[in-house]
Amino acid sequence: MLENPPKDSTAWILTLDGALRAAVGGRELVYLIEAPTLLDVPLSPPYCRQVLVWNENLLPVMDLAAYLRPGKPARRTQTLAGVFAYQAKSGAPLAYGALLLAGIPEWAHVADDHASALPKQPAGWRALAISCFKRGDDLIPILDLPYLFTGGLLATV
Amino acid sequence: MIQRTQNPFDTLREIRAFTRLTLDGRTWLLPQTEVQALEMSLDIDPEVRTPLGVGAIAFEGEWWPVYCLSSELRLLPHIPAGRRICPLLNNGADRFSLVCDQVETLVGSSRLHPVPACMASRNSPIQALVLLDQGLGCVTTTESIARLIATAEDRVDA
Repeated sequence: MLENPPKDSTAWILTLDGALRAAVGGRELVYLIEAPTLLDVPLSPPYCRQVLVWNENLLPVMDLAAYLRPGKPARRTQTLAGVFAYQAKSGAPLAYGALLLAGIPEWAHVADDHASALPKQPAGWRALAISCFKRGDDLIPILDLPYLFTGGLLATV
Repeated sequence: MIQRTQNPFDTLREIRAFTRLTLDGRTWLLPQTEVQALEMSLDIDPEVRTPLGVGAIAFEGEWWPVYCLSSELRLLPHIPAGRRICPLLNNGADRFSLVCDQVETLVGSSRLHPVPACMASRNSPIQALVLLDQGLGCVTTTESIARLIATAEDRVDA
């Protein structure tokens, strides 16, 4: 038996479009909506143009593929919206936001020794991710949900 | 003595009635108290112009500049077909009119939702969102629209 076995965490691996993958913590994904009804909000950033109604609240819907590849329509054969929980800061109540997804998220175990550098391209990953891990040949950035949903990206575009 | 300043969202939540303006199919809501009167677009005198306006309407002995905004509140140089009604907006400090497709009073109480933090820039004129039977309404104020027009006019002057 190893004296210090690598620490193991759980994650959801998200398909943002046909090619882009990202991950969130195992407790951050709380709900999945198939073919969501999306409502346009004018004057909003191109990667977050819509909201959806969930539990009588309006949640922002972010299209991270649109952020990572500005000007290129996301390649999705189906559209799902994942609802994610986050805390704006430690001790704050849970808040919720949504991400557009191209497929059902996949559950994964991630060990500390899978940690890796962020992919160099698209360059936008640096703004979205807090860390990254390797899964087979793929690099999977881990999203910084509090930063995304509290407006961190507004200063970057 | 401690003075508390109320944030704009809380102030809007106390408003009981909103006027609904339709601009190219999109719904914008303003406090009803800021709509002083309604005039027809036929009453616009196109010869009385402000830099980015489309004319002016004479009301109670004064000229009210009229602006034409797109569904996303961009200033338009010409009035699109179908714009017929001009609410005269007055908050005590700003006084002007907009050419709209439709203007009506929103009946019943509306639950205001804050604009999600990741969607609103600091200078956004959208103060809140309202879920309506026909979709989403954006709550704004005469002051916010006046600021938007003034910013655009400053850009033209520069």
